[in-house]
Amino acid sequence: MIIVIGAGPAGLAAAEAAARNGTEVALLDSASRIGGQYWRHRTTVTGYRSDRGKKLFAKVLAADSITYISEATVWSAQREGELIRVNYLQGGSESSLIAEKVILATGAYDRALAFPGWDQPGSMTPGAAQSLLKGHGVIAGKRVIVAGTGPFLLPVATGLAEAGAEIVGLFDAHNPLRWALSPRALLENISKFAELLYYAKLLRKYLITPRYGRAVTNFNNGRATISRINSRFEITYQNSHTVDVDVVAVGWGFTPDVSLGGILGCSQRVDSDGAVIFTVDTNQESSQPHIWIAGEATGIGGADLSLIEGEIAGLAASGQKIARSLLQKRARKQRFADALKRSYPVRDGWRSWLAPETIICRCEEVTAQEIRDSVSELGAEDSRTSKLFTRAGMGLCQGRMCSRSVSEIVAGITRCAVSDNERIAASNRPTAAPISLGQLADGKNAL
Amino acid sequence: MTQPISFTFNGSTISCEAGQSVAAALIATDQRTLRTTRFGNEPRSIFCGIGICFDCVVVIDGVANQRACLIEAEDGMKVESAP
Repeated sequence: MIIVIGAGPAGLAAAEAAARNGTEVALLDSASRIGGQYWRHRTTVTGYRSDRGKKLFAKVLAADSITYISEATVWSAQREGELIRVNYLQGGSESSLIAEKVILATGAYDRALAFPGWDQPGSMTPGAAQSLLKGHGVIAGKRVIVAGTGPFLLPVATGLAEAGAEIVGLFDAHNPLRWALSPRALLENISKFAELLYYAKLLRKYLITPRYGRAVTNFNNGRATISRINSRFEITYQNSHTVDVDVVAVGWGFTPDVSLGGILGCSQRVDSDGAVIFTVDTNQESSQPHIWIAGEATGIGGADLSLIEGEIAGLAASGQKIARSLLQKRARKQRFADALKRSYPVRDGWRSWLAPETIICRCEEVTAQEIRDSVSELGAEDSRTSKLFTRAGMGLCQGRMCSRSVSEIVAGITRCAVSDNERIAASNRPTAAPISLGQLADGKNAL
Repeated sequence: MTQPISFTFNGSTISCEAGQSVAAALIATDQRTLRTTRFGNEPRSIFCGIGICFDCVVVIDGVANQRACLIEAEDGMKVESAP
């Protein structure tokens, strides 16, 4: 049996591919509905090429050898001899499954950068606005600014507009002309132009004009400050203006969720965008035997790449032949993913947006000044030491929101680059999801 | 999915559709502040929306630290910002 963890594009493709030769698959996902973040839906999937999602859902749900287990949050896993045990929480109690092979497709979440007011109600990630809309049919606010960087801002802005929100502004820190840096990736992924045209049409329909070289640098009781920024993300002050909105949805790309593979000892590296990802071989197999990894956890690349990686992982894990054309397709999508990272890098200048009292660690309410003091007055030289002095990253989210930022703030003061070791250490956690001591002790909810 | 249900938030009645999360139901009725912070007493709301950040934690039927963005609203539920 193969256990597939995550039912987004990569996990679904992996499960479907593995089941083609009748291999038994258990597909675990923490959500109540199949599809992951990308194909989040209430009754039916909507958006660009949503038919792909519908077809894959139908195949997976119809396959006799796939058992789909929803609302199962995997919190850890360990080897037991030749086998791998996967522990999960479901409906408040703990269960586990054991199998010879595991495919991890744990996905990613929005990368957030701190700015004054980012902790106030009304400030959220584009992913949050998207999940409210697609998963629950709720628009995050009537007047919305969508900002940050990357192509994900397009479906969020147009989706909200379609649902009746007024998009007051769509601001990307980078100009799309940066794609000119990657001519090969563009030429061999011509199909991406169709997607761009799809969104361009929607932007015109809803009268949204994207503006580039701008960022939301302050949010205070419904008033957002939009600043012009240069290529290093430093504010060029003379052009800031304010606008009243209900919501600022700001996101800076994505951070892969690597906790579970880290617990299993799969080796990791730092990607070109600074994200910690897994190293996998040509078949998507990790450094650990019988563990394959597909999708965003092997490098942010979007749904197209995730689908191919998932298919390869599923075929490899079930001992089926992998067509050379599939590997070539992955290489093309991989080059597109690399171009994406080259086009939308997060630059260090964001640190200059912070006020001394700006909260960096949302959970423990640690300010920028406290982190700076931990370096300049207490002698912290890395995020780990700063964390011990300030508690930044020690709260409920286990540093998922702030650890990348804390490392970069500390490095800005010590004038060092963040080391790969520090990035990897800061991305790993003893459990992949929170679990109470009572649940750990007896498998029952003892709260 | 369109069957209406209701729960209470800090004593006020909130109506929503079955299948919606507690956070979605509250945002839909313009209840943006889900809790205030322990140290600074600052208002907080939904932030990541997918269960990662824990900013939207509320007390549900007496159980603390429940993520409002993940928990589906249920008829008769008692949701509070703090115990």
